[in-house]
Amino acid sequence: MSRGNQIASSGLGRLFRGQTAVDFYGRRRIGFVIAIVVLLATVGSLFTRGLDLGLDFEGGDAWDIPASEIFGVDEAKAVLEDNGVSTNGARIQRRSSDTTDLITVQIEEVPQDNAVQITNAFAEAAGVETDDVNFSFTSSTWGGEITDKAVRALIIFLIVVSIFISIRFEWRMALAALAAMAHDVLVVVGAYSLFGFEVTPGTVIAFLTILGYSLYDTIVVFDRVRENEGKYAGVRMPYEDIVNISMNQVLMRSINTSISSIIPVISLLLIGSGLLGAVTLREFGLALLIGMISGIYSSIFVATPLLAGLKSNVGRKARRERLTGDNLRAAVIGSGVTGRVGATVGSADGESNAKGASHDDDVKTAAVLEPAGRLLTHPPRPRKKKRR
Amino acid sequence: MKRRLWFSLIATVVAVIAALAGNIATSNAPILGLDLQGGLSVILAPEEGATGDDLLVVRDLVRSSLERSGVAEPDVRVQGSNIVVDLPGVKDKEEALRSVSVSGIVELRAVVNFTECSASIPAVSTDETIADGRVLGSDGTITVDGDPADEVTPPVDEESIGFLNDEAKTSFRRSAPDPDAPADSDPVGEAPIDLAPTPTPTIAGAEFLPTLDGGALCAGPSQASGEVFERDSASVQLGQFGQFSVSVDLRADGEDAWNGLATQCFNRLASCPSTGVDTDGSGRPGQIAIVLDGIVQSAPVVNVPVFDGSVSITGSFTQEEADQLSDVLNRGAFPVQVTPQETRTVSASAGGDSLRAAIIAGLIGLALVLAFLVAYYRWLALVIIGGLTVWAMAVYSAAAFVSGATNYALSLAGVTGIIVAIGVTVDSYVVFFERMKDEIRNGRTLRNAAPRSFNSTWRTIWSADLVSIIGALILFSLSVGSVRGFALYLGITTMCDLFVCFFFTRPAVLLIARSKFMVGKRAFGLEVASS
Repeated sequence: MSRGNQIASSGLGRLFRGQTAVDFYGRRRIGFVIAIVVLLATVGSLFTRGLDLGLDFEGGDAWDIPASEIFGVDEAKAVLEDNGVSTNGARIQRRSSDTTDLITVQIEEVPQDNAVQITNAFAEAAGVETDDVNFSFTSSTWGGEITDKAVRALIIFLIVVSIFISIRFEWRMALAALAAMAHDVLVVVGAYSLFGFEVTPGTVIAFLTILGYSLYDTIVVFDRVRENEGKYAGVRMPYEDIVNISMNQVLMRSINTSISSIIPVISLLLIGSGLLGAVTLREFGLALLIGMISGIYSSIFVATPLLAGLKSNVGRKARRERLTGDNLRAAVIGSGVTGRVGATVGSADGESNAKGASHDDDVKTAAVLEPAGRLLTHPPRPRKKKRR
Repeated sequence: MKRRLWFSLIATVVAVIAALAGNIATSNAPILGLDLQGGLSVILAPEEGATGDDLLVVRDLVRSSLERSGVAEPDVRVQGSNIVVDLPGVKDKEEALRSVSVSGIVELRAVVNFTECSASIPAVSTDETIADGRVLGSDGTITVDGDPADEVTPPVDEESIGFLNDEAKTSFRRSAPDPDAPADSDPVGEAPIDLAPTPTPTIAGAEFLPTLDGGALCAGPSQASGEVFERDSASVQLGQFGQFSVSVDLRADGEDAWNGLATQCFNRLASCPSTGVDTDGSGRPGQIAIVLDGIVQSAPVVNVPVFDGSVSITGSFTQEEADQLSDVLNRGAFPVQVTPQETRTVSASAGGDSLRAAIIAGLIGLALVLAFLVAYYRWLALVIIGGLTVWAMAVYSAAAFVSGATNYALSLAGVTGIIVAIGVTVDSYVVFFERMKDEIRNGRTLRNAAPRSFNSTWRTIWSADLVSIIGALILFSLSVGSVRGFALYLGITTMCDLFVCFFFTRPAVLLIARSKFMVGKRAFGLEVASS
């Protein structure tokens, strides 16, 4: 308990103790500018480069080669690599029955000349005649119907979620959350387009995962905003301040959660696809990593400032300048609890004074806690005691 | 209170361990997807003269039929001139062949008098569909959906009489539209436009066809195919008296063919004579037999001569029977016949190491996350470790159970999705503990802070997780294929998160907060004072 209420001298210490006072709202333009840049880059890239749709979406070429002791999946892969075909999007399977034993290779469509060349290379590697290698075209497996149904389901989902957020919180939060989600999906789609990654059904799943993660993260942040809104209902606190206070309060949670979410994905990338060589995990992991970083970023720098922007035009006019620096810090610390705020601040104050104000941090603490008292002379309305 | 907390904690752990043990004992494991485990592949060869577009249509129809029949996430594509169907999680060749025998041409034939068939040998076909126990209510009545063009539609209340009396094989039409048209008479008034065979004593092409309930019907020649119906438009409806009906849309270019047949039957022409007697003694209109692979699926009585856009088939169906009929009408849209040729086993497409790599990477990632949390939350991290273990066991059990029940395969995408879910699950603890940290720093005791913190945390977690659950439910019910599989695993991990949070984490933390365990120990970087 002893050091709990002092203001830490280092930035990291303040972060650890939830004593940060970052003026997120004041820096909202940075977030918006970045978001617009991302949007333009994505749209531009989609128009100029497009998306590299994989085998499952566009179909491609397929070979059936007789399998033998000298020709298996690995050999087929080697042949493709020798002919300059990326094995990343290729699907190489062994298909066997009582009478046949084939290696089926499917790759994205290649020019006719290359296809002939690859056919010959397969025949040579497998030690069979060229005629024994069966070359054909293969269609997509992902029919338009799957996309149509998925898009329809997604639209319905977004409508229902907007309604849910509007009821549970308010419609402006729904709007901001959806904007942040769109931002995240755009970031990932943009990355896929810019880097020329192949889009597979797995990628679609990664997009959906990111979408869900982004919404989740935003709602956790908004829940705190909502709670603080109620807490300051009595003191006509400007919405910008409430947003700033909430953001600082959930900062440590956001960082911890981000670390916990991102470590497994990085492990997937480094260990799974790097050390253990499972290539299929690479692009998938990369998509998730980019999406999750974006998801965490957007709930702080896109969703919340946007919400504050939407709200600041409504209702309560600010009576004073936005809280910054130590004033903000005081508010962040002061309202980080349930129930009444004033009393606990007072008792903590006394405790730190009792310890002696010789330490620099203590002086700072006293300086910070004092305006908190002023700010909260009219104590926030305590939450209604329904059931306890 | 304390006893309840202990009960919740112990019951949760015991239940989850029991579920896991049960799954392991019955070796019930999640089915792995094609990319991880491979499966069986069936090659379907189309009949001569199929065009590429036909094959693409068949591909979509085969896939949706498979999904409807419970084979999840099949991989269906056209390769060369064949259709290749890869089935995950199917080990038995017989089962694979049976599940892909989904195609079949649906014929629409008029039901004629038995005498027409007496010369021909009854077609005895023992298709597996009968052995499967698919029994349909053989007859029903056809009425139009919406406002018909003709005035001879039976009013709604007449229909309802039929259902209240619950007589399947009879159609109730008291208002015979044309009293001059008794059964088997020559056409009176408006003659059918086309397709009507000459009314000779023996109709060419008439033959006995078995019905699903074991009887037989004498059916005239095929006059139209299932292609008159809009693809995938058949659906089952529940009427106001609890009766099921099947409605299907007519294609713009199929409407004439259907109405040609319907008009013949409604006017009781010789090509589609009355086969029964109505309640008032007059001959009722003829029946159209819906035939799939030589078996009559349903032979409804035609109640109106002209249908406008859609057809509704009513009768005393059970829901299962109605579902089957709707499937048949949907599958009737196959433009060409395809036959299964050969079954092959398929190896995993993602390379055999991918699953192992993903699992190892996931476990290492998990270990690192736990190390980080222990470093950060110290003793309280014990709760996280326990909670994550319970969560992982619950997810595994649920996945094994669900994939056994629904055949949803776990693909590589699903595995990585679960790895991402670790982050979201850990978040519940982080939100909880950060809140407790704030409360304690502001002067509350641990004992006091824990329940308060949980209440506000639960609200947060519940709101955020509910969004995921809504997403999972909507995507699962409305989408198909791998998107559906994703929704399933999103739902499972989120539900398990909520479950563990309330029934494990809450009692565990509250009990720790009440005990003397934490006194003097460091947690969240604060030393916990005695309360």
